[in-house]
Amino acid sequence: MEERVPQHVQNIVIRDYCSKKGMQYLLSATEYAMNNSALMLRQLVKELPTIDGIVAYSMFQMPEDDNERQRIFNSVLSCKKEIHFAVEGLSLYDLGTYNHIENIWQVKKTLPHCIF
Amino acid sequence: MDFLLNEEKILGQEFIDQGYIIRDVANKEALNKIHKFLNDQLSKKGDNTLNNTHESIDIDDLNDFRLNVIKEINAQPWLKEAYYQIAKPYLDILVGNELAMQSRINLSIQLPEDSSSLLPVHADTWSGDSPFEVVVWLPLVDCFNTKSMYLLPPKAANNLSDDFKLHAQGNSEKLFDLIKNDVNWIKINYGEVLIFNQAYPHGNRINKENETRWSMNCRFKGLFTPYKDKKIGEFFEPITLRPVSKVAMSYKLPSLYKSTYEK
Repeated sequence: MEERVPQHVQNIVIRDYCSKKGMQYLLSATEYAMNNSALMLRQLVKELPTIDGIVAYSMFQMPEDDNERQRIFNSVLSCKKEIHFAVEGLSLYDLGTYNHIENIWQVKKTLPHCIF
Repeated sequence: MDFLLNEEKILGQEFIDQGYIIRDVANKEALNKIHKFLNDQLSKKGDNTLNNTHESIDIDDLNDFRLNVIKEINAQPWLKEAYYQIAKPYLDILVGNELAMQSRINLSIQLPEDSSSLLPVHADTWSGDSPFEVVVWLPLVDCFNTKSMYLLPPKAANNLSDDFKLHAQGNSEKLFDLIKNDVNWIKINYGEVLIFNQAYPHGNRINKENETRWSMNCRFKGLFTPYKDKKIGEFFEPITLRPVSKVAMSYKLPSLYKSTYEK
């Protein structure tokens, strides 16, 4: 959503986040560049049973569509796994963190409609 | 129309006139808990009060210690809410009751004669903060003179802003020389909280008193007010989202078209 940071910089931020959290960084996945693509993300979610979780560069890389994004978050929760967002330093692992991250998403989407 | 209560108008006018307000903390229990937490951090370095930190920590070790305490502060799940409760009624009046709070609370420790922890004159808005933000500044010790911070009052700040291009070729020290006779050195005691307009120039100087300053600071803003470089999610988080906003943000008009799932 309106954010673009060079891929190698994203990787540095993700590696640093993993290192600070004591997480083992297995391998990186890159989303296809087409608008609104979530193919790679969905593939990662499918592979969740074999890994501990996902670290994304930013929460705003998740699908903008509410249903699509919430479906992915629900998949993470139902696998009892975690998804982390390095820039924001936030992670989603239970209902409380799900609601907090969804609230931020909804505020972000609402702000352009606020008259400033 | 102005339906604000008289007490709200008084507080608001004081903030506008001075650029800040100082009040007793709204929740003493929360303050005591934070104070005890910081004392416990310091006690790892020796048996001293916060005021006497300089007897336990060398200037060379100060930044590592400070960063470590900041990490501990932000790892405590209770501390952010406690910090908010300390200023809540004043924030309700000055900013609003649907708020975003800075994700990480900051800590300043100013040892006497330490020149390594100085904040040169600046307004937060000059480096990416929105003018819709305020800073809640919480002293853990009594602060006065150079043990405290200074703030340029609104009238002088507006004059500086008008003439800013005349001083653009200088440096921050020259800027301070220009305003040093106009700044207010904030006198504030432990048990009080300061809320100030970060769009006015402020900073600190070498602490010439014989006590150490401990203070915390954190920014708050209206959740649905303009953001600058400090964004929702990466810098600010919603803390008091109201039910109507919550419901309305996910509201969708009924569709006139058949759902794709409908047979």
